[in-house]
Amino acid sequence: MKNFFKKFYLGIILVFLYVPIVVLICQSFNAGKSRAKWEGFSFRWYGELFQNASIMNALWVTVSIAVIATIIATVLGTLAAIGIYSMKKRPQAVMMTITNLPNTMPDIVTGISLMLLFIFAKVDRGYFTMVLAHITFDVPYVVLSVMPKLKQMNKHTCEAALDLGATPGYALTHVIVPECRQGIVTGALLAFTLSLDDFTISYFTTSPLVQNLSTLIYSATKLGISPVYYALSSLMFVVLLVLLLIVNRRTAETKA
Amino acid sequence: MYNVSLPWWSYALMGAGLVVFLGLLTLSVKRNHGVKRSLFASPYILWMILFTLLPCVLIAYYALTDGSGQLTLDNFRAFWDSNHIMRENMRAVAGDEVAATIPRGSVNVDTLVYSLWMAFLCTAISLLLGYPAALFMADRHMKLGSTLVVLFIIPMWMNFLLRTIAWMSLLEDNGLINAFLEWIGVGKVQLMYNQGAVLLGMVYNFLPFMVFPIYTSLSKMDPKLGEAAMDLGCNEAKTLLKVTIPLSVPGIISGITMVFMPSVTTFFIPRVLGGGSTQMFGDLIETTFLTAGDWNLGSALSLIMMVLILISLSILRKADPNGEGGGIA
Amino acid sequence: MMEQEHLIDLKNVSKEFDGTTVLSDIDLYIRKKEFLTLLGPSGCGKTTTLRIIGGFEYPTTGTVLFEGKDITAVPPYKRRVNTVFQKYALFPHLNVRDNIAFGLKIKKMGRKEIDMKVDRMLELVNLKGYGKRGVDQLSGGQQQRIAIARALVNEPEVLLLDEPLGALDLKLRKEMQLELKSMQQQLGITFIYVTHDQEEALTMSDTIVVMRDGHILQIGDPKSVYDEPANAFVANFIGESNILRGTMIEDELVNFCGFDFPCVDSGFGENAPVDVVIRPEDIMIVGEDIGQLTGVVQSVLFKGVHYEMMIDTGETVFKVHSTIMQPQGSRVGLTIVPYNIHIMHPMPEPPVDEEAVADV
Repeated sequence: MKNFFKKFYLGIILVFLYVPIVVLICQSFNAGKSRAKWEGFSFRWYGELFQNASIMNALWVTVSIAVIATIIATVLGTLAAIGIYSMKKRPQAVMMTITNLPNTMPDIVTGISLMLLFIFAKVDRGYFTMVLAHITFDVPYVVLSVMPKLKQMNKHTCEAALDLGATPGYALTHVIVPECRQGIVTGALLAFTLSLDDFTISYFTTSPLVQNLSTLIYSATKLGISPVYYALSSLMFVVLLVLLLIVNRRTAETKA
Repeated sequence: MYNVSLPWWSYALMGAGLVVFLGLLTLSVKRNHGVKRSLFASPYILWMILFTLLPCVLIAYYALTDGSGQLTLDNFRAFWDSNHIMRENMRAVAGDEVAATIPRGSVNVDTLVYSLWMAFLCTAISLLLGYPAALFMADRHMKLGSTLVVLFIIPMWMNFLLRTIAWMSLLEDNGLINAFLEWIGVGKVQLMYNQGAVLLGMVYNFLPFMVFPIYTSLSKMDPKLGEAAMDLGCNEAKTLLKVTIPLSVPGIISGITMVFMPSVTTFFIPRVLGGGSTQMFGDLIETTFLTAGDWNLGSALSLIMMVLILISLSILRKADPNGEGGGIA
Repeated sequence: MMEQEHLIDLKNVSKEFDGTTVLSDIDLYIRKKEFLTLLGPSGCGKTTTLRIIGGFEYPTTGTVLFEGKDITAVPPYKRRVNTVFQKYALFPHLNVRDNIAFGLKIKKMGRKEIDMKVDRMLELVNLKGYGKRGVDQLSGGQQQRIAIARALVNEPEVLLLDEPLGALDLKLRKEMQLELKSMQQQLGITFIYVTHDQEEALTMSDTIVVMRDGHILQIGDPKSVYDEPANAFVANFIGESNILRGTMIEDELVNFCGFDFPCVDSGFGENAPVDVVIRPEDIMIVGEDIGQLTGVVQSVLFKGVHYEMMIDTGETVFKVHSTIMQPQGSRVGLTIVPYNIHIMHPMPEPPVDEEAVADV
């Protein structure tokens, strides 16, 4: 009985979270343009999606920026975490405070401050500035995911490698990096997701000529949004879900 | 493909940074006496100075100057009294007497207070809804934890703007909920474009950020602690009150931070679901910058918000000095 | 000892961390094929000494010689020593075989040779067939063996062991002590061993170096350190002791507890204040009328092989070990044979660091 209540409660919360998504997916198959009226099942919007140049371009911008920003942020962040980890206590604390700063800064302030920077430095806002902005908000997350793995590491593990004849460089690539691999992967995934979904910071750091999906959707809401966007996000949602299932299957297999 | 035009000195700066970093790195590898691995952080430090600290300094600079670069506190006066500039102009044109008739404009302060109030409501509702959810997720007998974490994350893969827009289809006058209400004979109700709709959108978007940290801190808890409390005579309600909740305080604090901050500053949700009926502070900053083009006032508003958030965070940190709250991971 | 037999020399080595001195002016040599133990309470500098030999710390002043050559500034990966770390520091991302092969792979040894050597090592540490396991699937004792194998496979001149048995339970620890000792004799490698466990030190070592607060108090073989402790601290740290203030009346006669005891020490001068150390097992319980001292049994504790009795003579309370129990409250006589009375110069500091002894 008590378990039933708990499950019921969790069920309600999940319904709350999923209802809009189900609605969205349903609407992507609606033949008509109206949100309210069901005019029959159709793949019309999926067809239009691939013909829509601005959406395809925005998709390319979104994904390519996410990939570039993730790669750079992961390298930068992993090196940084290792560096910060080997610092003495005082500078380490200072660095961790600075790393936490963007986390405590609201997106809108981050976006605006970067916008001011780019304008101040006379850099035209666009693709390049968006990449810089995305790296900026991604890096701290990578640092914060790698750091705990380094702290969990036996203090002497690196010394053990040196003791066995490894040069510091070899110890770094063959011992330290593999040992925080899990943290690096987590950080990279987090960075990729954040970058893919970001709206606020992109909004302030790009020009109307270079749009990612979020900023494109935002400008579309002003005019009344087309179901093409529903088709697009449903498609992306399904792709991510399938990817998740594959990854899960594979980790389950390697464990068995 | 895209036009990238940077001033010459930015290339010089980047080049110099790279040369310095590589130089220090090779130097440290060559020197056998203790490897300076801390140098690995130098590109990151450089990056943070350039793209986090410097922009903050710029905000402060714009907030403390006027359009011509003169040091001034006018922007903060304008925050307190949105008619300040108009009055000063009037004073110059028509003299003190006319200027004195212009009352204090309280738009900015009111918006801030309203945003804080909304964010507080959103945080409180999220906590009330989220805590039991996290508690049940962490229930070891049900073994649902990791599955549910995934189920809570999946919705976040749908673009955040579209998820919010989807609520429009549910809430609007011809929307699904109203259709249902009409069908059972209640009749249409105005659901959109009010405070409730904005609040709903905020809770919907930020609830997972409340659930995850609480769940993390609850699942890290030693189950024997609960058993020990029962052994010492606590019933289930008392165990919850005296042991479980106090031990999950770091998670709660982390959750509050993660919900409160984006709630104060969101500007998309009130715009879509509130339909401009109510303005929030993020909204105000955005329009001040992009519509009114007043960077100085906009920077001052940003600065005020940052300071407010930093103050509230430091108060929260006092309750969780070790920062054990943890995040999503 | 002849100079060329020295494998490692520490000369005037001092180490400071942020202004606090951890080692002051250590002079120590280690001979070939020796089992040398650095023994002392926590914070005495024994681990720092080991880390200086391993190359993980550099001395603030002083030099380290290896076969007469200065290696003070040589980094760890260029030294012919290997370390078994506290809590092992195995590489969790590698399996047992790859852990052991780590050092050999760096030397770019051929695959076949590596396989052969690793197999031989696994056999030596009794873990044949465990090569494919992940290191976190092993018990503490097994991880310990892997850590030893990983170090030994590189055929180091010296093996450094930093409290390697600290994490094991008592029974396993005793087994591993014997195994380590026989391994050392079999392979003929120099072992430098760090521990705070005096029993371990006595069982395994050829030479014991007793340290405290960054100083070496005594160097000697186990028997001499036990029987002839250099001062009251060593006496108390190595085994249990009764330590008393006494006065040397003349050569071979000492006064304590209001009685003149004949002893074997001399050269302290007349009427000189001294510390007197008597091992609990060296006090004989005799009839009340024939003892040098008499006392009342305060408490009796059964310790397995013997009884530990606290006997109050009025002046002081002696700890006495005996296989025969005296009932609590009974009056007994105590006698001490002259050569069991150890006379030493009084320590300038308060003689016993209670806490340090307590964690032994």
